Amino acid sequence: MQANFKPTVGSNRRSRAGLAALWQARLMMLLMVNIAQLWILAATVDAALARHFSVLIPLVIASGVCFLITLSIIRWWRPTSKKKTSSGYVRENDL
Amino acid sequence: MKNLDETIKRVLSDESDVRAATAPFQAEFPYERDEEAQVTRREFCNFLGLTSAALFLGAGGFAAKAAFDARNSEILAAARVEGAEALTPNSALSFTYPTAKDSAIVIRTADGVYHAYGQKCTHLSCPVYYSREHQRLECPCHEGAFDPANGNVLYGPPPRPLDAIEIEVRDGQVWAIGRKASAGEHAG
Repeated sequence: MQANFKPTVGSNRRSRAGLAALWQARLMMLLMVNIAQLWILAATVDAALARHFSVLIPLVIASGVCFLITLSIIRWWRPTSKKKTSSGYVRENDL
Repeated sequence: MKNLDETIKRVLSDESDVRAATAPFQAEFPYERDEEAQVTRREFCNFLGLTSAALFLGAGGFAAKAAFDARNSEILAAARVEGAEALTPNSALSFTYPTAKDSAIVIRTADGVYHAYGQKCTHLSCPVYYSREHQRLECPCHEGAFDPANGNVLYGPPPRPLDAIEIEVRDGQVWAIGRKASAGEHAG
């Protein structure tokens, strides 16, 4: 399927700016998730040393959930305003 | 302001001096310094993804090791604490239990009861000592303190109570018969 827009002089700049904003947003979200995982790791180490076995499994599950969130942000997350086709992103018909 | 300008010029000149000095070696071993210094957002995001995976594996590894150690915990042999029966009330004695590497401390509190704990502070493993003046176990490194009656933290940075050592008095002799991690439940 062909992309349904005519590229204009400004469209490349807007696309680049849009992609940059996309990666910036990904970066921020990934940073926050990583920081949360650091806290979870610290809590896990403390629980392991104190032999608090009842909290170990929930902490590991929480860490796993954070990892899955990270994976989904990198692999599948897209802004809702963008539609993806087999040929790449298409701009919405508002031009 | 003049000093600032001079400082900036000196720092920038150091960079170019280093580049000039290493230029012959750079020719033999090409290294695109400027290109290498660039980290794109995409690369950094991928790096954060790997970091997340490593943190998850680390958390899982610690949990697995703790569970494994708990399942394989052996019953410790009883050992006599030499000299503990001669302790006067409000005094303490260091010993090792269950192995020579595991330092411990036995306290005879003012009411004459024996209590024993691992001597490693739960903050950063400094050896704790018994303060007769304050009647508590104190850590000299970061000013933590523990209750001699139960090993609980009184104040300071230690996150957990001291490891408890079970004590039994047999025929006037003091025996250590077990050791368990600080205030944790037993697994299995």
